[in-house]
Amino acid sequence: MSVVAFERKQDGGGWSEKELSTLVAAFGAAIGSGTGREWETGMTEQGDAQFYLLGPLPEQACELCVSRISGRYILEDGSGRLLFEHRNLELVALHAKAAVPSTSWLMVRAITLWCAIRNTIHEKVDPLLVEGEELLVQFVPQLAAFA
Amino acid sequence: MERPPAKAAPDAKQLRKLAGDWLKLRRADAELSQADLAARLGLKYYTFISQVENGFSRVPTDIMGAWARELGLEPAAFARHLLMYYEPEMHRLLFGAESK
Repeated sequence: MSVVAFERKQDGGGWSEKELSTLVAAFGAAIGSGTGREWETGMTEQGDAQFYLLGPLPEQACELCVSRISGRYILEDGSGRLLFEHRNLELVALHAKAAVPSTSWLMVRAITLWCAIRNTIHEKVDPLLVEGEELLVQFVPQLAAFA
Repeated sequence: MERPPAKAAPDAKQLRKLAGDWLKLRRADAELSQADLAARLGLKYYTFISQVENGFSRVPTDIMGAWARELGLEPAAFARHLLMYYEPEMHRLLFGAESK
C-alpha cells in the first residue's frame, strides 16, 4: 500500500514560503526603493500567522496587516479597519498592494518641487523687480519735471 | 560627514512592544482571550488585538475607553499609562516623573 503525499494546506502556524513570497512580491514596490518601509511577521495567541507592513523610521508603525485565520486571509490597516478578506491570497495581495499609502511620497515630491520654484522666484526675480522699482522712483520726478 | 543614527533608544517600536506586553498581562488578569476582547470591542476578528499586543500598532484613541473597561481598568489611568509608551515626552510634560 502506498500513501500519496498531499501538499499540506496552511491553516495554522507560520507562513509557508509560497505565501510569504506572494506577500513580499505584492509589497515589493513599497518595501524597496528607499521608502524606509520594512516587513515583519508574527502570530496571534491562537497561532495564526500575521504579516505586518511597517512604515518608515522613527515610528515604524504598522501600515497594513495580513493575517490568516482558518484558511481565510484578512487585510487590515494599522488602526484595525478591515479592508478585505478572502480565501485567495493572490486576491488579498492585490488589494493590499492597492492599499499601500503612497500619497505621502508624492506629496513630499510635490512640496519639494514647489519650495524649489518659490525659492528660485524669490532669489532671481524679486531683486529684478526691486531694481526696476528703484529706477522708477528715481526717474519719476525727472519725468514729471519734463511733463 | 556621517550622520548619527536616526533615533536614540528606546525607540518608538520598542516602547510599543512594552505597551503590548503590558496590555497582554492586563488581558490575562481579566481572563479574556484575544477573541473575547475583540468580540466585546465589536471587532469582527481578533487579529487587531494581536497587532497591538505584538507592538506593531497602538490602541486607537476612539476605543481606548472601551478597551480599558473590558479589562476592568479605569479609562483615565489606562490612557495615562499607555501615553507613557506611546508619547513618552508628552507623558513627561504632563505628569513629570510621577509614578508610572
